[in-house]
Amino acid sequence: MAIKHFERLKDVETIRSHFEQQRYICSLEIATAVFLAYHLEKPVLIEGPPGVGKTELAKTTAEMLELPCIRLQCYEGLDESKAIYEWKYGKQLLYTQVLKETLGEILDGAQGLSESVAKLHDFGDIFFSEEFLEPRPLLKALGEKESCVLLIDEVDKSDHEFESLLLEMLSDFQLSIPEIGTIKAIPGKKPLVFLTSNNTREISDALKRRCLHLYIPFPDAELETKIVEARVPEIPPKLNLQLVAFIQELRGMDLKKVPAISETIDWARTLILLHSESLDAELVRQTLNVILKFQEDIETVKSELQGVTNRALKAS
Amino acid sequence: MTQLHDTMVEFVKALRTANIKVSPAETLDAVETLDIVGLEDKGFLKNSLSLVLSKTPEEKTAFEVCFDRFFSADKFGSNTSGSQQSNDAPVEDDAFDDENFEQEGSDDAPGGKGGMGGGQGGGEPGDESGEEIDFDPLSPQSDLGQLLLEGNRGEQMLKMAEAGRKVDVSQIVVFTQKGLYTRKIMDAMGLKGLQDEIGEMQDEGGRPEMHLAGRLKGARDQLREAVRDYVERQFFLHADESGKELREELLRKVKLSNLEKRNFKDVQEIVFKMAKKLVSIHSKRRKTFKRGQLDIRKTLRNNMQYDGMFFDLKWKSQKVDRPKVMCICDVSGSVSNYSRFLLMFLYSLAEVLPKVRSFAFSSDLGEVTRLFEQTKLEDAMAKTMRDYGNGSTDYGQMLSDFKSHCMKDVDSKTTIIILGDARNNYGDPKSEILREVYDKAQRVIWLNPEPKSSWTVGDAEMKKYAPSCHQAEVCNSLTHLERVVANLLRVAT
Repeated sequence: MAIKHFERLKDVETIRSHFEQQRYICSLEIATAVFLAYHLEKPVLIEGPPGVGKTELAKTTAEMLELPCIRLQCYEGLDESKAIYEWKYGKQLLYTQVLKETLGEILDGAQGLSESVAKLHDFGDIFFSEEFLEPRPLLKALGEKESCVLLIDEVDKSDHEFESLLLEMLSDFQLSIPEIGTIKAIPGKKPLVFLTSNNTREISDALKRRCLHLYIPFPDAELETKIVEARVPEIPPKLNLQLVAFIQELRGMDLKKVPAISETIDWARTLILLHSESLDAELVRQTLNVILKFQEDIETVKSELQGVTNRALKAS
Repeated sequence: MTQLHDTMVEFVKALRTANIKVSPAETLDAVETLDIVGLEDKGFLKNSLSLVLSKTPEEKTAFEVCFDRFFSADKFGSNTSGSQQSNDAPVEDDAFDDENFEQEGSDDAPGGKGGMGGGQGGGEPGDESGEEIDFDPLSPQSDLGQLLLEGNRGEQMLKMAEAGRKVDVSQIVVFTQKGLYTRKIMDAMGLKGLQDEIGEMQDEGGRPEMHLAGRLKGARDQLREAVRDYVERQFFLHADESGKELREELLRKVKLSNLEKRNFKDVQEIVFKMAKKLVSIHSKRRKTFKRGQLDIRKTLRNNMQYDGMFFDLKWKSQKVDRPKVMCICDVSGSVSNYSRFLLMFLYSLAEVLPKVRSFAFSSDLGEVTRLFEQTKLEDAMAKTMRDYGNGSTDYGQMLSDFKSHCMKDVDSKTTIIILGDARNNYGDPKSEILREVYDKAQRVIWLNPEPKSSWTVGDAEMKKYAPSCHQAEVCNSLTHLERVVANLLRVAT
């Protein structure tokens, strides 16, 4: 698969350093997944808690390879007409009208029914042809001349049927349109496919079997510090350590929704805006709503705020 | 590369016994991955294979344990980096087995380690004490003997692995089979030839012969030690889990009332597994529904044959199909075990059965739905038992309570499951109330843990209740339970 900048996928370390240039700090597993996705020509199914950078990974890969990123957001009720293709019905109807009018010309001089039918058959029919085809994300991804990154986001939100619809695309990089035939990816330009799932339901085995499975957990403190540093470069290192320690501790608590990386980054930005140099209980109390999204959780944490803050300060 | 690929197949087998589902297609992927990734970097290989073979977080954890056990070797990298991938693969395969072996040997049996030294020493007679170099050492005639004294370690290990494969050592199930498999492997490696040779040497009695016989004997004993280690390793790799599978299989079939306390944990696991299976089969089941949004696309397509006149309309909307379940459990002493598992089962099915309401009774009916939602399963069970359990059973009372409290919530989409032995202590069965429920609800299912033959014996009122049930079934094992619930999901409309 020779795509632009494929040398950036040469080995895992190269991928990692290129990701770093895009300010996406990743673990070895993630880089390995991208490496294998390219070399095995297999889609990657990314699972993990919300906000750990699943979608971001696909987008960053696209940026790194300077390829277009085609995104298909899944939702309940998504079907082939929105994911694969749709006929341009209006134009098709117009075409039949035009055809009707020229019918006389075509059949001119035909003797008997069988001859007319034969003539009709000879007449090139473009009713079901690519002219009237409106490509949707999946079909578009196959047609990209320079390959692309296809992101099928939150595949768990879609219906069971849609999953089966994806199988052909995922295993063979081809799609069948009954009226036209099979459309295949341009050899050597197969799209890099990423699927993300939040695990709201079990993805079927058939789909899992066709994919590499990458699970992105919450990062450990060291990695998270690096991520914050990459995303919010202006943060003082001391504050960074403190807030990561704080977040890490929150993740260990029994909360309805634990803060993810995206919340950590938001919080870091907030603290920068407030010109804070160091965490303290009062500051945390005021900004807690940035990292916790449920009132219940906020109450829980507030009751233990002083202790958690002190420990976070000690950790730095 | 075939040797290497065989190793991968073996590894996949080990994964399967560790409860990781690996399909043949995935095995092929793994082999391809191996070709791309190579063996130089163990961590890299582990990450890569984990991506290809394990597909849930739980599987990933299991995978790691399995990988480490299978490719156990701290020298993995150093040995293989010497023989690059371009070298012929069998050598690398040896490296695997070889190291596996050595580590085990040094961990468990120091004798094993010594064995290796002896085996290799055969290749270099210089190891032996000085005076014995005077005469030409005889070389052994039997295959195994040659292998032991002259072949290198790698070859020996390969031979052992081959023999292991031949006798299906991966089928080992229980601990006591270890001896059996050790002997089988020794036999498959040609122990008999070696024994004969040793015998012959000793009979002849010359000095070189005696010397050779001694060496062969030593080598044989060391080999036996090595094989025993090998079998032990295989046991941990394969049997540990298949033993568990066997146990689970058994537990599924055993009568729930016969379960012992110590098995509860296992059973719970099975219940969750079964429920999960049902959830993945049945979640998001839909059927086309005759109302909703117009599906323009389908309609157009369908009406093209009528010259574009829209008279065969197609609708888009679909309806999610999920039954509303009310579950009434008898928790009096005799059947409490069953209800425990039924409730557990229904609760694990929360994803497909969002509207489960549970009731428990001995005589007075009480709703435990909230209790189950708020507390952990075990606590909830215990509390239910404390509050409702162990009284004398009164089905009549239960039914009239149900009528006064819940009848208004019963509609044509409700499925009602009653679990109990219908032993009413000769009280008034009030089966007319059940009839009323029957008329109103979609389905009434009665699960009775007793065998059908005793349904009418003594104070059992099944005869009166059964006609007012859409389905009355014997249910006393997990397999039964699974079948009933699966049916429940399938028939639900």
